[in-house]
Amino acid sequence: MIEVEALTKRYGTTTAVDGVSFTAAAGMVTGFLGPNGAGKSTTMRMIVGLERPTTGRVTVDGQRYADVAAPLRVVGAMLDARSMHPGRTAHRHLLALARTHGIPRSRVEEVLGLTGLESVAGRRVRSFSLGMGQRLGIAAALLGDPGTLILDEPVNGLDPDGVLWVRGLVRDLAAEGRTVFLSSHLMHELALCADRVVVIGQGRVLADATTRQIVERSERAGLVRVRTAEADALLVALADRGADVEVRTDGSLHVRGLSVEEIGSTAARIGAPVLELAAETGSLEEAYLQLTAGSVQYRSGRTLGGEVSR
Amino acid sequence: MRSTWVAALATVAVAGGLTYLDASASSSDPGFDPVRSLGFAVPFATVGLLVLGVLVGTSEFSTGNFRSTFVAVPRRLSVLAGQVLAMTVFAALVAVLAVGSSVLAILPSAASRGITPDLGGDGVLRNLIGSVVLLSGTGLVGAALGAWVRRPVAALVAAVGICLVLPMVLVLAADLVTDPLAASAAGGSSAPESPLETFARFTPTGAADSLLWREGGALQGVLVLAGWVVLPLTAAAIRLSRRDLV
Repeated sequence: MIEVEALTKRYGTTTAVDGVSFTAAAGMVTGFLGPNGAGKSTTMRMIVGLERPTTGRVTVDGQRYADVAAPLRVVGAMLDARSMHPGRTAHRHLLALARTHGIPRSRVEEVLGLTGLESVAGRRVRSFSLGMGQRLGIAAALLGDPGTLILDEPVNGLDPDGVLWVRGLVRDLAAEGRTVFLSSHLMHELALCADRVVVIGQGRVLADATTRQIVERSERAGLVRVRTAEADALLVALADRGADVEVRTDGSLHVRGLSVEEIGSTAARIGAPVLELAAETGSLEEAYLQLTAGSVQYRSGRTLGGEVSR
Repeated sequence: MRSTWVAALATVAVAGGLTYLDASASSSDPGFDPVRSLGFAVPFATVGLLVLGVLVGTSEFSTGNFRSTFVAVPRRLSVLAGQVLAMTVFAALVAVLAVGSSVLAILPSAASRGITPDLGGDGVLRNLIGSVVLLSGTGLVGAALGAWVRRPVAALVAAVGICLVLPMVLVLAADLVTDPLAASAAGGSSAPESPLETFARFTPTGAADSLLWREGGALQGVLVLAGWVVLPLTAAAIRLSRRDLV
């Protein structure tokens, strides 16, 4: 479990992370979503002690990272694809890390197999593609069989096969009871694999809620699209029931304030043949764009979702 | 990785090669003494170890590997201590090999004149040991500067500046401010040392002179060299423990 409390990081006059608080709980995948420069990587680096917070604190399983006796066995982190010596082979890179924790050589072979790198284990990292580098980074994170995983943009540079693999992997790791904390700017990616999403913009938490809650809060949520041969009659009938109706250029109606069932029964009552009736669910993409675009208005510390920022 | 081995091998090869050339060039001299060629390649090997040290000292940061390293071992100073220990062993090994190759390189010329080089003789052994200490120490100076500065080119410029340019400038400056007639005016005895010359003795080159029997004692040379390791190493330790690793 990762607990971040009122974390702030300033570089001179720039505030990269501004009073961020959230918890990434065990047994679930927590997504960390935000545009470039929002403070995602800085927050992750502070979790593993590469950077020190200006104020606030962050603990993993209740301990400061620097106080953990065998960090690789507690936290596995993949922060940057360029975190290895290009002149070393994949095998030697992992072996060097394993040596610092007395992790047996067999575990190195195991994670190489797990990440599909056996065939290139003897090649120098210099010759690796971005995707292979990502896989090696994930292999290094898994090396100590840690209870907490921190992955910064893990699907970056992966082919569709690799993306599917990462998605399955993080789900499996969380199902085993581990804490998985991963950042992405790919919103649909988090929609597919995260249980909970922390949205960050300009160093502040904009939302911290389950993925479903965030999607439901998007602008399109609650919108029902209906197409009928009797558009005008239905428009009047729906307006009478207090719905907010908009006529689209293609002749369909966008209805807010009524459920699919209510609209369906209304249409049946007035005898308007329904050609199409569908509830539009918002996507995480839209929710994200709305949140980050308006990030200035949330400066007072208001958050969407279930929790108020502490 | 590869560049480290290349630099190490080049240093050993240069030490042997240049010594061989010097020895064979002077082997036709009437008073040829092969052991005199032993020190010829030392300044060149010094540069080799300086480069080697800088490469090792900066490698974590020039490659980005420091992220993996310091995530695995958050106690940063123990990483630095480990690096210093490894570099000491490695530099000493390269230094022994370089000096060893110099010794081997004088053998053909000595044999051509039927001379058996007397390695145990008058100061020769001390000179050889001094060379090993000088070369190892220089490697550590490079590594310490590299660990502090972190960027290879900047570290190399600093290392060359401190070890080669600064001493030369000081000696030239001392010559300029010293009255060449002062010695004769003082009645033949040598003139008192100018402050610049004193300062020059505390540069790595001054340490080399002490270690290679020319000036002062060997202990003085060791201490001056150790100072040039400890200073940048302390700066590196402070930077490492106080600052963020980005």
